[in-house]
Amino acid sequence: MSNDRVTSTPFTKGLGFFVLLGIALLIILGIFVSPADVNQGESVRIMYAHVPGAWLAYLAFVMTAVSSAAYLWKRTRSLTWDRIAGASAEVGVLFMGISLVTGSLWGRLTWGTYWTWDARLTTTAFLFVTYIGYLAVRGLGGTHQQRARRSAVLALLAVLEIPLVHFSVELWNTLHQEASVAGRGTDVEMNGLMLFTLFLGVVVFTLMYVWLVLHRQRSLMLEDMLDDSGLDHALSERRAEATQAGR
Amino acid sequence: MSESDSPDDIGTSPDSLDLSPREPSARQRRQRRPWLAMIVLLLVVAAGGVVLTKFLTSAIDYYCNVDEIGAKEGCEAGRRLRIQGIVDVGSVTDNATATEFSMSFGGVSLPVVYEGEPGGIFKECIPVVVHGILRDGVFNGDRIEVKHSNEYEAENPDRIVGETDKGSECSQ
Repeated sequence: MSNDRVTSTPFTKGLGFFVLLGIALLIILGIFVSPADVNQGESVRIMYAHVPGAWLAYLAFVMTAVSSAAYLWKRTRSLTWDRIAGASAEVGVLFMGISLVTGSLWGRLTWGTYWTWDARLTTTAFLFVTYIGYLAVRGLGGTHQQRARRSAVLALLAVLEIPLVHFSVELWNTLHQEASVAGRGTDVEMNGLMLFTLFLGVVVFTLMYVWLVLHRQRSLMLEDMLDDSGLDHALSERRAEATQAGR
Repeated sequence: MSESDSPDDIGTSPDSLDLSPREPSARQRRQRRPWLAMIVLLLVVAAGGVVLTKFLTSAIDYYCNVDEIGAKEGCEAGRRLRIQGIVDVGSVTDNATATEFSMSFGGVSLPVVYEGEPGGIFKECIPVVVHGILRDGVFNGDRIEVKHSNEYEAENPDRIVGETDKGSECSQ
């Protein structure tokens, strides 16, 4: 395979190195250095994957919507935007999955249950299912431009769910933590080292997101090229047969 | 077409126009994926329906606070409820089969009987949501979920837990 058919560049290699370094640092800080919580004990460490996972899923879905809007913008119609949208949605679903699984384990340890249908969990499940549907719509077939148009419209609608998920804990009574319980203030009070570890988690997950989307959108481009060359190949085969038959 | 065919043989021998189905190529198999996508889409629509039903029937106002029983629509005593309150200090007693405690919210206290051992980080002074039915002034719970706050504080083994923290009321 020639060099222009691979998905990595010196930039992504460097970025990948920093992502690995960041993950190692996050594990050290999250598991060994940061303190246990006075109420939740050791289980609080799940937060360092759960919260960045959810935030990055939001970011990924917003990026999908922005790329879709860029694709739909008059006279742009660039499939690169469509592929960035698709790649970002795939990574977003992955991060949302991480957040759901870690959240479920955290819930078992602190709430005493893996799952419950409160507003935050229910709206999150709906968001997750919506974006799996978005990925299915991308796989429905047709031309690349058809795929791009269908999915772009869906992405612009689906992103509207994010505010509902985020503010569900404010809008309704939820089991998921929120600010109003027992007259507490709305400011998040967190130990400094815990807050720093959480911040590091968000940075590491963001870098991981960029790395994954860059590679994925390039591999999607190669898939599209393969489809196009497949059509050329089929056409040339038919032409050859017609030429033979015409003799 | 068999390999022995030359272009000149086309249409002249019985097997030169081979119309039997060809083995699908890898590329053609890829193009069949829309069926998979459609199946996933159907599952997504079904799952979305379930989630939406759960949202409308369960998620909107997940619980009633103790002081809302009989005072707020949907919190009528006698029906199955989810009640949120803070576990009262010194109220938790375990016997062989049940855990008994009282929980308060908004100045109203409610005695609770729960068949079993509460899971999670259940303890005094922590907000809990109990699922069950109110009978004769006692809430018979069959499921307890512990709410945790958005406050995070380092666990410190040297912290002195004095009488000021362990008074008759929760410090929160």
